[in-house]
Amino acid sequence: MTARTGRTTPVPPPAAQEHLQGHYAGFASRFLAFAVDVAIITAVAVLVLAAINFVASIVTGKSTNFNRSDIWVVIAYVAWAFIYFAYWWGLNGKTPGGSLFGVQVLTDDGRDVSGRRAIGRTLAFPLSFLILCLGFLGILLGDRRRALHDVIAGTVVVYAWDARAARLRFLSRSRYSPPPPPPESPGLPGPSS
Amino acid sequence: MEALAQSIAERAISLVLDAVDVNTVLDQVDLNALLDRVDVNSLVDRVDIEAILNKVDVEDILDRVDLNRLLARVDVNQLLSTVDVNRLVGKVDVPAIVDQVNVNQVVQQVDVNEVMSKVDVNAVVDRVDINSIVEHIDLEGIVEQTDLGSVIAKSSSGIASGVTDALRSRTVGVDEAIARMVARLRRRSYTGPPGPPAGLRATAAS
Repeated sequence: MTARTGRTTPVPPPAAQEHLQGHYAGFASRFLAFAVDVAIITAVAVLVLAAINFVASIVTGKSTNFNRSDIWVVIAYVAWAFIYFAYWWGLNGKTPGGSLFGVQVLTDDGRDVSGRRAIGRTLAFPLSFLILCLGFLGILLGDRRRALHDVIAGTVVVYAWDARAARLRFLSRSRYSPPPPPPESPGLPGPSS
Repeated sequence: MEALAQSIAERAISLVLDAVDVNTVLDQVDLNALLDRVDVNSLVDRVDIEAILNKVDVEDILDRVDLNRLLARVDVNQLLSTVDVNRLVGKVDVPAIVDQVNVNQVVQQVDVNEVMSKVDVNAVVDRVDINSIVEHIDLEGIVEQTDLGSVIAKSSSGIASGVTDALRSRTVGVDEAIARMVARLRRRSYTGPPGPPAGLRATAAS
């Protein structure tokens, strides 16, 4: 992946993508960001559930096994997911997944999302799934790449990462990356010996 | 006898003058025709103007003139409005004037610190379009050819930032590929991702 290993050729951020910042984010970036968020939510939920099972078994002295077939677990999971998305979108428009892929939620006129609008977007988000995922078609077909929940909440999703800075970082790394370690020679003693 | 004749003549003239209306006589005189017959030039030639002027005490006249009062009666704005400044300036030989000015001496007398203290640097900087200047800078060339690159490399050489940059870049590539494919299916041309929102455009422009 990197120039240091010398195994694969690094791919610089293309020059054509240097001015993407602020443009409407595409389907892949948004989907992958969502997938990362779901993974985080699920991982945290599983860990918390395991912790609860452990504590409950100690307190009650019996083997307790809350799992996803339990309606309360499902409700808690949905509530946790709601808090997760509403909090991050209301905070700065970026969930951890969105930060990783450099996408940000803004109002449709480019301002930061308020807490109320973040809650509205979170509540509208399931609607895009409930109609056979047709709510997401707007990302592919719309002029502003808005899903159904974006239209309802009055939001857009834009690229928030600076591709130009990323390209400069790539150029600086490729020129100033540390030299590869010399090949080991059996005739020379190593520093630790 | 002679004295009697003199008194009779004076009396007769007096009676005639009393009987004559001088204004009526003057009304009948064509003054223009009269002036046409006067050779003004020869008249002026016979006047010794130098002698007259020598007798005039100009200093005394000027002392008596209240210039401030005189100037107060002048409407300067109206006067200036009648002046064709462009024509006036066009007649001025500016290079000749500048040649006569010792610029170095003038500059030495200028208190630069005082001048700068009156300058609102922030206002000046606000008027500079820094984005436009930066657009002209070959940042990539600078990073590749100078030690600035090493500074950037040291400050952001983490593996995580490299992986993140690559991940985002590849994902954007997939975004663009999907968008091009959809545009082809819809038989539309694709010129790149749409946006940004109007609010962001205004922020970027300001």
